Amino acid sequence: MRLAVIGSGPGGYVAALKAAQMGAQVTVIEDSEVGGTCLNWGCIPTKTLIASTELLSRVRDLDKFGIDLSGSVLPNMAKIIERKNRVVDIQVKGIRALFKSWGIALKEGRASLSSPREVEVQLKSGGTETIQTDSVILATGSRPAIIPTCRFDGKNIISSNEAINLTEIPRSLVIVGAGVIGCEFACIFRELGTEVTMVEMADRAVSTEDHEVSELLEHEFKKKKIRLLTGAGVDRVEVMDDGVHTFLSDGKEFVAEKVLVSVGRAFNSEGIGLESAGVKKGSRGEITVNTKMETSVPGIYAIGDVTGGMLLAHVASSQGLVAVQNIMGAGEVMDYSVVPSAIFTSPEIASVGLRERQAEEKGLKIKTGHFQFRGLGKAHVMGEITGFIKIIAEEATDRVLGGHIVGPHASDLIHEIVVAMKNGLAVRDIAGAIHAHPTLSEGIREAAEDLHGQAIHTLRK
Amino acid sequence: MNPDDVRYHKEHTWVKVSGKKGTIGITDYAQDALGDIVYIDLPEPDTTVDANSEISEIESTKATSSVISPVSGKILKVNDELAESPEVINEDPYGKGWIAVIELENTSETDDLMDAAEYEKYVEEEAK
Repeated sequence: MRLAVIGSGPGGYVAALKAAQMGAQVTVIEDSEVGGTCLNWGCIPTKTLIASTELLSRVRDLDKFGIDLSGSVLPNMAKIIERKNRVVDIQVKGIRALFKSWGIALKEGRASLSSPREVEVQLKSGGTETIQTDSVILATGSRPAIIPTCRFDGKNIISSNEAINLTEIPRSLVIVGAGVIGCEFACIFRELGTEVTMVEMADRAVSTEDHEVSELLEHEFKKKKIRLLTGAGVDRVEVMDDGVHTFLSDGKEFVAEKVLVSVGRAFNSEGIGLESAGVKKGSRGEITVNTKMETSVPGIYAIGDVTGGMLLAHVASSQGLVAVQNIMGAGEVMDYSVVPSAIFTSPEIASVGLRERQAEEKGLKIKTGHFQFRGLGKAHVMGEITGFIKIIAEEATDRVLGGHIVGPHASDLIHEIVVAMKNGLAVRDIAGAIHAHPTLSEGIREAAEDLHGQAIHTLRK
Repeated sequence: MNPDDVRYHKEHTWVKVSGKKGTIGITDYAQDALGDIVYIDLPEPDTTVDANSEISEIESTKATSSVISPVSGKILKVNDELAESPEVINEDPYGKGWIAVIELENTSETDDLMDAAEYEKYVEEEAK
């Protein structure tokens, strides 16, 4: 079996490795950097920046922990970016080494389907190469979406791609879009001392999360003095002598050193020969696939962001594994019922399954259990008491339908609920398991107990 | 403990009236119940507030709670010192821990509030 994988992000590279491990002869074509958005401009770089700003925040609190610091603590942006680049480099090299060890051919250049079984590559080194293949996986990803009212200039009006490489801390920043990316950057730059204003069309920040999660995050933004305007549209953005002006539809105007636009992602489905191969696209430009990750053309599969579903690295990887299983003849379908996601704001956010309002819209009879981190000894020990754990269960069966965590290590804690959901466990199963003390995980058990009105560490009502 | 020159609201806030102005804050009982206060969401000056509605939010190591205004009116000024040092509310709830000064819409509103003796009795009842 010969397989050509176009794109080497978390979808493409995982698929390539799996296929090679199953005995396929694999060629990966990458026109930018190995590792894709996740490694080079997304997950890994932002989390590395956050590691620096979180440390900065902790050091500023040293006196609360009984540690005296003489001298000042200052972020050095050039060094922070340098560290980020080092971390990215290690990951990229790691993938290249894995490719080599599994005999995967890496072609650096721009790929285009010339037929369903033929990929033409414009090599970066010059010249073209035609690859004959039995199957193709399209894993070309996405890029920052452009809206006509705020066009990027790469310098003053920027996307997340540039924001991760700012070697000077902007004095002020307007962020258009208070979704995952916008909120993470708001926390990063606020900690660095930037005056941050966020403008969001929806009626709340991180509007795809549970409403209680948005409420808490907005409260924390207020504490950090991050200004958030919801239900606000941007009319236009203009670069002037005194800075970038953002004009809102309601007449308000803000001036800032830079404007970061984070209003979603556009799909990389152009110029890759979909037309020549006959691969169909949806209305948003996404490549349409079935549950086996196969496109409208047999033998051509598509995975990850470009398929327009859940734009998450771990979903892309899972889709890649499913696509490879099908290519290798095993027959597997993608299951999206239990997909966790994390937002690395401060405090951190993680969720899985149904949001409370979603459950209501579906007409489900549910029960919810809550636990505040401030009720936990370990949270006080760590000095991180903000946030809560919320579990949603079906009333009749007690089965876990969703979990929402805001607070310390939320992105790690969520997986207990993920495993419970994936295995159809009930809330009583979580409540019935002994959780070690003193840990943050105790909070999950408390939330489970609360759902049954049996939380121990709660005041009498 | 609870001063006699202020009026008390059942949501554990107080108002001290001087002419058309009322200074408000939370009671000693409230600060004690909340525990160490770590943050207060101060109201915006020049906005108006109705009696019995939320004027501010206080976060402590134990809980996040609404502060209910005992009176209606326009907010003239807020205690900015609390933004940096919210613990002042714990230390001096009737003094340096004041939250806002309100231009009273209707001075007779305070007639519905409790005096110190009534409030102490009310707290005792609530604790049962």
